[in-house]
Amino acid sequence: MLKYLRFFVSVFRTSSCAAASALLLAAAQAAVASPVDRGPDVTDSVVNTFSQRNGTIFQGWPTPQAMIVLTGELDGYIEPCGCTGKENQKGGLSRRQNFLRAVSASDWPVLAVDLGGQVRRFGRQSEVKFQSIADGLRAMGYSAVGFGPDDLRLPAEELVAAVAAVGAQPTPFVSANVGLLGVDANITPRFRVVEVGGLRIGITSVLGDKEASQIRNDSIEILPAAKALASVAAELKKANCSHQILLSWATPEETKMLAKLYPQFDFVVTAGGADEPPAHLMVIPETASQKGKAFLIELGHKGMFAVAIGLFDDKATPLRSQRVPLDARWGESGDMIRLLSAYQNQLESLGLTGLGLVPIRHPTGRRFAGSAACADCHKEAYEVWAESPHAKALTTLEEQSPRRDSDPECLSCHVVGWAPQRYEPFEGGYAGMGTTPHLAHQGCENCHGPAAAHGAVERGDVRASVIERDRLRQELVLSIDTPDGKQRAMNNCLECHDLDNSPAFDFETYWPQIDHSEPKPAPKQTALETAGGTARGTPIEGRK
Amino acid sequence: MPMSFRALNAWLVAACALAIGSAIGGGTAMIESAVRPWKVGDFAPAAFQPPDGSDAPQVDVAQTHHAFGTIGAGTEGSHDFVIGNTGTVPLRLSRGATSCSCTVSDFEVSDGATDTTTKEVAPGATTKVLLKWRGKGSGGPFRQQATIFTNDPRRTEIVFVIEGTVVPTWKAVPESIVLSKLSSTSGEKATARIFTFGKEPPVIGELSTEGPQASQFFSLSSSALEPHEIAAETGATGGFLLRVDVRPGMPLGPLRDRIQIPLRMPEEITAELLIEGTVAGDLALAGTAWDSSRQALLLGTISSKAGAHTELFLTAKGPHRDAVQPVVREVLPKSLEVVVGKGKPIGSGSVIRIPITITIPPDSPPSNHLCSQQALAGRIVLDTGHPDTPTLTIPVCIAIGP
Repeated sequence: MLKYLRFFVSVFRTSSCAAASALLLAAAQAAVASPVDRGPDVTDSVVNTFSQRNGTIFQGWPTPQAMIVLTGELDGYIEPCGCTGKENQKGGLSRRQNFLRAVSASDWPVLAVDLGGQVRRFGRQSEVKFQSIADGLRAMGYSAVGFGPDDLRLPAEELVAAVAAVGAQPTPFVSANVGLLGVDANITPRFRVVEVGGLRIGITSVLGDKEASQIRNDSIEILPAAKALASVAAELKKANCSHQILLSWATPEETKMLAKLYPQFDFVVTAGGADEPPAHLMVIPETASQKGKAFLIELGHKGMFAVAIGLFDDKATPLRSQRVPLDARWGESGDMIRLLSAYQNQLESLGLTGLGLVPIRHPTGRRFAGSAACADCHKEAYEVWAESPHAKALTTLEEQSPRRDSDPECLSCHVVGWAPQRYEPFEGGYAGMGTTPHLAHQGCENCHGPAAAHGAVERGDVRASVIERDRLRQELVLSIDTPDGKQRAMNNCLECHDLDNSPAFDFETYWPQIDHSEPKPAPKQTALETAGGTARGTPIEGRK
Repeated sequence: MPMSFRALNAWLVAACALAIGSAIGGGTAMIESAVRPWKVGDFAPAAFQPPDGSDAPQVDVAQTHHAFGTIGAGTEGSHDFVIGNTGTVPLRLSRGATSCSCTVSDFEVSDGATDTTTKEVAPGATTKVLLKWRGKGSGGPFRQQATIFTNDPRRTEIVFVIEGTVVPTWKAVPESIVLSKLSSTSGEKATARIFTFGKEPPVIGELSTEGPQASQFFSLSSSALEPHEIAAETGATGGFLLRVDVRPGMPLGPLRDRIQIPLRMPEEITAELLIEGTVAGDLALAGTAWDSSRQALLLGTISSKAGAHTELFLTAKGPHRDAVQPVVREVLPKSLEVVVGKGKPIGSGSVIRIPITITIPPDSPPSNHLCSQQALAGRIVLDTGHPDTPTLTIPVCIAIGP
């Protein structure tokens, strides 16, 4: 647009209006220099805070000839968990897309490549999630995507539907040694050559032999990595590439071995590294690629970082690298939020049964009553709970956009009667607001244990001996007065307040906020005592 | 004094230019976007060029990286890094963020100082930065970093890195047993290596499964790993091979259970290994247009003039896989051309892949089978040759329009 303005200015100049034309240009440019679109939540304060926290990025970089953006090991974290402030977590497809957009908007030619490892679990939710992530990677314009071992544990037919070419749009998925439904089915190409910024970049991926030996999925053919790379490396050599990338889902040792066998690869991305990538690229020792050095690249876990490699037409500094924390600086991308909404809608449509979730037996064998059932006798404790964020845990999922109250990976810490780290309901645990509204939110029984039998005895609904009554009471006692009790309590907290979801959790700081210690209650005279040892009603569930 | 015509003209032109320029500029901004896109440069302050000869602090750091080797899960490690000031004015340090709560950085506390988040280092002096970390429970490679900001214009950030390996209490390879598609007719065998890192090699108690139903179909056993296999796992002191034989006959649907492994080494723990998968029939369909949730081939609305083409794959496993040689018995709409290709083994040959090509030829007659109440699904019916599933009906959702 500025080109047209300059033309307009030149016309003015020819009509001897130099002063006017200068004013025109200044005014026009002032009008064009509009504020930066970095999303509604990305204020200067956010940028400053996260620059301080996670470091500045691309400091002093000139415009590169091309920039390779490497991502991977998403581990199922399609978005960072927002339990205790999403802004404090790194990662997610939404921020990743905004980062890639910022690079493109800067007129930096960008090539996005992903190692793979989109999911970490098995089951219908992971299948739906893989499909959503694959759609997201396509939308972001990824040029190459490899496979991680847990990706390849998903049913082959689901993978085919997710990764195969759609119409004229080729699949971004690529592998030298993995063939969905057989290598000769050609569902995915074995390598790809992409032109970016005037450079030709060849990319392939492999799954390491150790990982391959652990996969039991007969509909997927996995060739030995080194052997499969031989023919692909030969093809890439012929392709006249300026740079070559190997995405190796293998241990760093296996990856280095492959890099030494095929020194033509300039950038070798490996799995099996630490939680976060190193600050600088590592040179693979004793390896000399075409341009002198091959770099080993770790990406970290859970998609928290992207690693950017700038290629420069500069003999003194032909390459720069930057690990990019995908933090709140990048804001949210509308496209990816819509993708997340569609994913959540699918989970809601499938429901817990459609997701293949079969309730498991609670270790105690008991059933849940819901927090309200505790209120009559434990009034003060209940009031503390009712005022705490725990009592609104499910509401926080309902109020998110998109809402997450159908997502088992979220629900497991926001309702009563689920195994938090297993994302599975216990028998009689929360099954939805339609059938089990009394089990909404993070309630009493998640720490103290299922209390249906205790409540029934105390109310006099069932017969029980004094011994049984006291035993049921005692089973629900969780005291932090003893080291063992405190440890048990802390372990309970850590089931949900784990490093992913609550990195700042500290028992000594958090406990006072929900401290509901109560003096030992005086024994209550119940119907069973007045009736001489037993109460009226039906027997306690599961007991003779 | 009255303004001359020439001066008035100049002002008019200027005002006109301003108005036009603003309009064009504003219009441009509106056309392109109300605001300009977020750019990389918005994060990148220009590289600092220190003025020659000016007084400045100067960071002197001999070591920014510490390899701690191995550490037990849950135990703490720490390391002192030293920062010196070789400049001519005081060096001011402030604590930046650490990469996660596992790592904290702190300055050496001076006498009487209460603020440990900032520190001033006199010219020629040094100070220590203490990094602490706690080994994560799941073990594996570990790397954390802490950032220190400085007022040295040549080096505004110092990043200290600690890395090593966290040794867990026990570890399973693979982390869980996943039987992606378990045949209900042929069963399956699987193994996992369990490594332990206690003071003594483990004594293994009675193996069991959590779910009552699975115990009918699982047979569990273990045997010691060879010393060289244990040695290959960094820090392992013991290990054994866990074998799971899954007997045929499991009901179709999701499989999810936990194998419980009591260990004494000498502390007693119960290791749990997840076993999961899907128990499936011997025949399955795959393809871009195949929707496994709806179990239907979704072809959508096709232009009669252009026609269309898609490929499905039928996979066959189990003892009767070689008998599967599908023959097309019926198609709806009748204009569908369905060609069944020759079966080929995948990998080791336990699964046979049979391509099925579906073509809607150009100028096919209009029809509507979009799988609604008003437009019932079309179908492809195959005689499979499989004794347990002799007929396979593939629902087809398609409308052929003009």
